[in-house]
Amino acid sequence: MAEAEKPPLLRMQGIRKAFPGVVALDDVDLELHSGEVLALLGENGAGKSTLIKVIGGAHLPEEGTIEIDGQSVRIETPQDSLQAGIGIIYQEFNLVPELTARENIFLGQEPSRVSFIPRKEEHRKALALFARIGVEIDPGKLCSELSVAEQQVVEIAKALSQNARIIVMDEPTAALTPREVEGLLEVVRELKTQGIGVIYISHRLDEIDAIADRITVLRDGGHVGTRSMEDIDREQMIALMVGRSLDKEFPARSSSPGKVRLAVRQLTRGNKVQGVSFDVRAGEIVGLTGLVGAGRTETARLIFGADRMEAGVIELDGQELRVRSPRDAIRHGFCLLTEDRKGQGLVLGQTVQENFGLPNLAEFSGMGLLSASRESEAFAQYVDKIKIKIVSHAQTAGTLSGGNQQKVVLAKWLQRNAEVIIFDEPTRGIDVGAKFEIYQLIHQLAEEGKAVLMISSELPEILGMSDRIIVMNEGRVTGEIKEPSEATQEDVMKLATQREKLAV
Amino acid sequence: MNLKKFFLTSIAMGAALLMAGCGGSGEGDAKSGSGGGSGGGDASGSGGGDVSAGPSGSNEVKGVIAYTPQTLSNPFFSVIGDHLRAEAEKNGYEVLMVDPDYDVKKQSEQMDDFIVKDVTAIVLVPCDRIAVGPAVKQANDAGIPVFTVDSKCAAEGAKIEGHVGTDNFQGGELAGQAMIDALGDAGGKVLVLDLKRANSCVLRVDGFKKVINAHNEGRTSGIIDIVAELDGNGDNTKGYQSTADALQAHEDLDAIFAINDPSALGAYAAVEEANRQDHIKIIAFDGMPEGKQAIKKGQIFAEPIQHPDKMGRQIVQLIMKYQAGEDFTQETLIPATLYTKADADQDPDLK
Amino acid sequence: MTKLDFGKLFASLKALDYRKLLSDYGNVLVLLILCVVMSFATVKEQPATSPAAAEELASLVLSENGKGAQVMVLVRGGKKGAGPKFAKNLERSLEEVGLNVVANVQGSPRDSRIALRDHPKDQPLAAVVTDQHIAVFCAEQLPGLAKENPALAQSKRYSPTKHTWPVFLKIDNLRNVLKQIAVVAVIAIGMTLVIITGGIDLSVGSLIAFSAVITALSIDHLGGTDPTTSHLLLGSLAGVVACALIGMGTGGLVTVFKIPAFIVTLGVMFIARGLAFLCLEKPNGLPIGNEEAFKWLGSGADFGLHNSVVLMLILYVLAHIMMSRTSIGRYVYAVGGNPEAARLSGVPVKRVLVFVYLLCGLLAGLGGVMTASLQMSGDPKAGNLVELQVIAAVVVGGTSLAGGKGKIFGTLVGALIIGVIKNGMNLASIEGKKQDVIFGTVILIAVLVDQLKARLR
Repeated sequence: MAEAEKPPLLRMQGIRKAFPGVVALDDVDLELHSGEVLALLGENGAGKSTLIKVIGGAHLPEEGTIEIDGQSVRIETPQDSLQAGIGIIYQEFNLVPELTARENIFLGQEPSRVSFIPRKEEHRKALALFARIGVEIDPGKLCSELSVAEQQVVEIAKALSQNARIIVMDEPTAALTPREVEGLLEVVRELKTQGIGVIYISHRLDEIDAIADRITVLRDGGHVGTRSMEDIDREQMIALMVGRSLDKEFPARSSSPGKVRLAVRQLTRGNKVQGVSFDVRAGEIVGLTGLVGAGRTETARLIFGADRMEAGVIELDGQELRVRSPRDAIRHGFCLLTEDRKGQGLVLGQTVQENFGLPNLAEFSGMGLLSASRESEAFAQYVDKIKIKIVSHAQTAGTLSGGNQQKVVLAKWLQRNAEVIIFDEPTRGIDVGAKFEIYQLIHQLAEEGKAVLMISSELPEILGMSDRIIVMNEGRVTGEIKEPSEATQEDVMKLATQREKLAV
Repeated sequence: MNLKKFFLTSIAMGAALLMAGCGGSGEGDAKSGSGGGSGGGDASGSGGGDVSAGPSGSNEVKGVIAYTPQTLSNPFFSVIGDHLRAEAEKNGYEVLMVDPDYDVKKQSEQMDDFIVKDVTAIVLVPCDRIAVGPAVKQANDAGIPVFTVDSKCAAEGAKIEGHVGTDNFQGGELAGQAMIDALGDAGGKVLVLDLKRANSCVLRVDGFKKVINAHNEGRTSGIIDIVAELDGNGDNTKGYQSTADALQAHEDLDAIFAINDPSALGAYAAVEEANRQDHIKIIAFDGMPEGKQAIKKGQIFAEPIQHPDKMGRQIVQLIMKYQAGEDFTQETLIPATLYTKADADQDPDLK
Repeated sequence: MTKLDFGKLFASLKALDYRKLLSDYGNVLVLLILCVVMSFATVKEQPATSPAAAEELASLVLSENGKGAQVMVLVRGGKKGAGPKFAKNLERSLEEVGLNVVANVQGSPRDSRIALRDHPKDQPLAAVVTDQHIAVFCAEQLPGLAKENPALAQSKRYSPTKHTWPVFLKIDNLRNVLKQIAVVAVIAIGMTLVIITGGIDLSVGSLIAFSAVITALSIDHLGGTDPTTSHLLLGSLAGVVACALIGMGTGGLVTVFKIPAFIVTLGVMFIARGLAFLCLEKPNGLPIGNEEAFKWLGSGADFGLHNSVVLMLILYVLAHIMMSRTSIGRYVYAVGGNPEAARLSGVPVKRVLVFVYLLCGLLAGLGGVMTASLQMSGDPKAGNLVELQVIAAVVVGGTSLAGGKGKIFGTLVGALIIGVIKNGMNLASIEGKKQDVIFGTVILIAVLVDQLKARLR
């Protein structure tokens, strides 16, 4: 076939990039052909983000070559990357919320001379771009009014408008609902047929199965291997990524829930949370799920005192509690591991140890003065116990991978001896290997008799982890699944989309 | 890296700027060390006897006189400074001039620096009559004599060796006499634009009133009646506003006495706006170029003028006497002189 | 042995991570460069007044006049300063070598004139030994005086040698620099905290005036023109507490009503300045009595350094301990770094914010008392635009205006940089407007270095 003669769309060879104290990429090769989807896999911290930044011109590699269509190119700035026909869609979008979709697409491409912006033409072009990807979005809508999935499409359209032939997507589905994920995959397939090469990064192996033609796996900054999807199954994929084989995605355990520890009754706040009631027993993992916007996170925030509830009762071990702020909740032994670790869970600029210490300072203080050594000793135990991968205690939290960040957050709450632990999307953005460890930790907590409430929109996770599942829709509890092991994803989806409460 | 280069260049530029700045105005410093008995304890009069003569050379710098006025951006103070410099250099002294910009803290810090530099004498126009006190006392403690010009220092315990100022009371009297001349036998209604927070301006009004009261004494007709005393804030804007208000209240106003040029010029603007400039006579005070120009144009009738040139020279004379260990009168008041249209027409400085 | 030490030294030098060094102490480097530049810019020939110079002068006088000759020491003098010390050294050195010091006059030229005139006419004065100032007097007046008093006819004049030394590096000047930054530096502690939380406080300059006026008024009210020490303390406390309360109010507005700190403190800035003027009848400052006691804080120097500087250093050490070793310090950083994460970790965010504004107001109040003590009056014009210097010190010190980052001692270095620039330029007699240009340039350079260190990482 012509494939063999034609040079690949993108070829990176021998890429090396080191940061002070750490080699982020070492001798990494990557090849992308037009019209194919290459999945880039690896645990967090494996070097995927660095590699993308090299392609995007944000990092300059010390060694290695980049070729496009067989021509050697130098990519030193983001502009170079754009010029080379590379469009990168980062996890955090680069859209201006106050501008319309059209304005965002053509931002930076306004006519160079002082003149009026050809609005109508732009509008037409934007519609054409959306049509090309097979979606319908009003180009005149403000970006802030668009859903996450729609914003993503705007980003893709923006890349296409700049004649991108290579599109890189970093965790594009992390914040999407299952239905939106399906839509996105459809868009990616459409791009494929148009001869665009897509580098697709995701932790969700289902998606990889569904869309990728080949996978390239990185581990610890090194290139582990590239395989065609036909030659590899899921276990092998995981084994490549973590360097060992995992028997199962979810660890096994036997549960024996005790008496009711946390009881919430008729929690209400606006139309987000309307009369939500449920119990969590000692040693029980209760899954809370629903579609995006169902009010799961809002419920958790009410229990934790992060938002003020309008009505409702929270009881712990039969005692009614007054929870007016997170401080109150923490005092009663509650903790919340937020979905948005960077925005709400960690102070990224502070060190991991400082983040760990934040809710525990009283414990490490004597005579008003903090003892850094006591703090450090306590933290060291957790570093060992839950295997937090850090260079030193003085490393800033922002430099850690998602899984390790989650572990730091977990460590700080474990140190507080929390009794009621609320996880909001505990494994979002966390790679397969680390996921398994987090699951083990959650089990361990339940076995210690704590009450665990786990919010997740990943149905396999909810089904695999929970002892009981509570499903919400539009602020209300619409159902409860008492035997998750016997339920299917379809059962959950049914509850999640219906209005009235049904018991299954 | 480009950035690094940029950074290095800017450091170099910053340093160069500094050096240039020092070179520009610091050249005097270099000179100051060049004279004097240098060399191993070289006794200047080693010949002994009455041969122990005076200064060994005409270009020898005997010391430094430091000058810190309220600000150098006011021409009044810079004229004092220029004449102070000329007179001091004539006598073999160098002058160091700094600008505290009306900030007494800055002025106090400048005094600290003068002390470190061990200057011969300090000439001060206090930015604040009270708050400058501790700085003056520090100079006292260091044995450096402090002289004031224009405004006095009112802080308790601060020792001032000498003061040169304008005789404001006498100037006020001149203004009063000018007012009588302006209104003639008919008399009339007068507005006074004052500035009560400045002691010197209060004295001007006092002197003015003394002459006016004496004029009115025993008269039944042709009385000069001060119908309003308003705050002119010593500036153009407030002078304008106060005058405009007064013109509303007193439609038959005949004349205005403003305690300085800026407020007088503001007053004229208001008078002109009311189209009364042919009738209302304005007496000002100061002698700033703008004021003199207004007199030439006939906008201001006359004004007592201060003599910053004389003040600058006089203060150096006091310092010379101090340096010679002679007795001198502690306070010198320089009389103001009246400046009229006739003077303005012959003034070579006005075009 | 030495070789080994060198080897070790070399190894340890190599082991140093220079990048980290520069990034941690970048502004210290700027400070050092500035000090060097200022030293070169202020090099000046000046009279030697050291004990050694006095000895040298004494031996010269001895060699030219012989033992037992009558000499007179004439030095310009006040209560303190170099003059009297030099006079004392001179007298001792002269007597040690066997000369007869008939008088040691420390005072004005007039005092010297009187001393010379009244010298016994029948005792020929061999020499007058003077400092540079009285040397000028003697050169001009001695011939004339000799006509009145024949004892002076043969008198020779001696004055000290000159040596070249930067004025900037004189001990007195370095002490001055510290004294001049004390107020700004003390307030900058509070400002550092405020800026670390992502806020700003524009009101501190006005609070200086407000505190100074309240202090002066309280003292006046309590003790009139002759207040006791306890009156002074109570009055000062009133000024500090008033400003702390204002700071608390600021913090309340910022947290409870969520008004941006810039706006709140802008408002407070005008209000406090206006109140300071309204509290007094005249725009002139209100003098404070009992100078001996009250000036202790501002211009007293009981520990080698000025008391205000000692206070400043103590406050910096305390603030450093607070920020690095206590919960509240940790909370301040956390609130600045990520308020939501801090809140969800149980940090009392609102209380922390109110605290930092309160502390900033309190320190501004203290700065006001220090200013009042420096000027011995409550001046409603005091502290004009000081807020900008304080902010400059904090920013030059490496604290990010975006919040979350900053070091207390960095701020002290920032304040020193600002103090050194201002002082050095004054000493180098740079004209006012040029000073502004250079001042701005150096601030930008310092911040640039700070930015650069982030890139070097």
